Amino acid sequence: MTSAPVARELELAASIEPIVAWRTWSLTGRSDGSSLLLRPVAGRSRPWRPMHPVEAGCKHTRLHASPNLDCTCGLHGTHGLDILRRTRCPAVLGRVALWGRVIEHDHGYRAQFAYPQLVALVCQFCFWQWGTHGVSPDVVGWFPRGELVPLCWAHLEQAQRYGMEPRHVLGADEIDLGLRETYAVDPLIHW
Amino acid sequence: MDIGRPKRIIEIEPTSLPIPAPDLPMPLTDPAPEPAPQPRTPAGPVDP
Repeated sequence: MTSAPVARELELAASIEPIVAWRTWSLTGRSDGSSLLLRPVAGRSRPWRPMHPVEAGCKHTRLHASPNLDCTCGLHGTHGLDILRRTRCPAVLGRVALWGRVIEHDHGYRAQFAYPQLVALVCQFCFWQWGTHGVSPDVVGWFPRGELVPLCWAHLEQAQRYGMEPRHVLGADEIDLGLRETYAVDPLIHW
Repeated sequence: MDIGRPKRIIEIEPTSLPIPAPDLPMPLTDPAPEPAPQPRTPAGPVDP
């Protein structure tokens, strides 16, 4: 058994200040751009409820509370941006507040509670290719099952050429504003 | 996404939650009634 020795070796700390970390989300909504919801990029996990703290859950929740040292569960945030470029289909990049029980790792955190603080839509293809330089999207494509994918003009054209045709194309500014109003958060301007 | 090995555990109990404050509820009390019109006092006798 490794959990007990590892837990004993780890430093324990207490704080009254939430940690603020980087994070990406996927985004869903209706075809008219309403009912916007942030979701974890992994799978079709539960959406983050606007105006309420999000609490971590785990499929092994009957066995342990989340986050648990011997699991990968918890609400993730990272120290830096580069690691997020490897996430699957990021639609929103932002800063997230983490609190409750937080496990700090080499490159990020896993937390019990979280809420977004600053958000910005990103063109996922620009983000993958060039990092944070010029990732602002021009449009947001609406796909079946309510998936919203922000894209720049060049990548919209490229996506269409490869058969990734959105059912509806919405203005990025409109979705950006709607998202910030839904969660009552500020825009991520500098990163 | 690999965030590496765990380094430490932090118990964070913020003094105020980092979520937006809910909008103040609308007042439940009925608005104050309009003041009742004052009864007109009959005009007094006018001296011719």
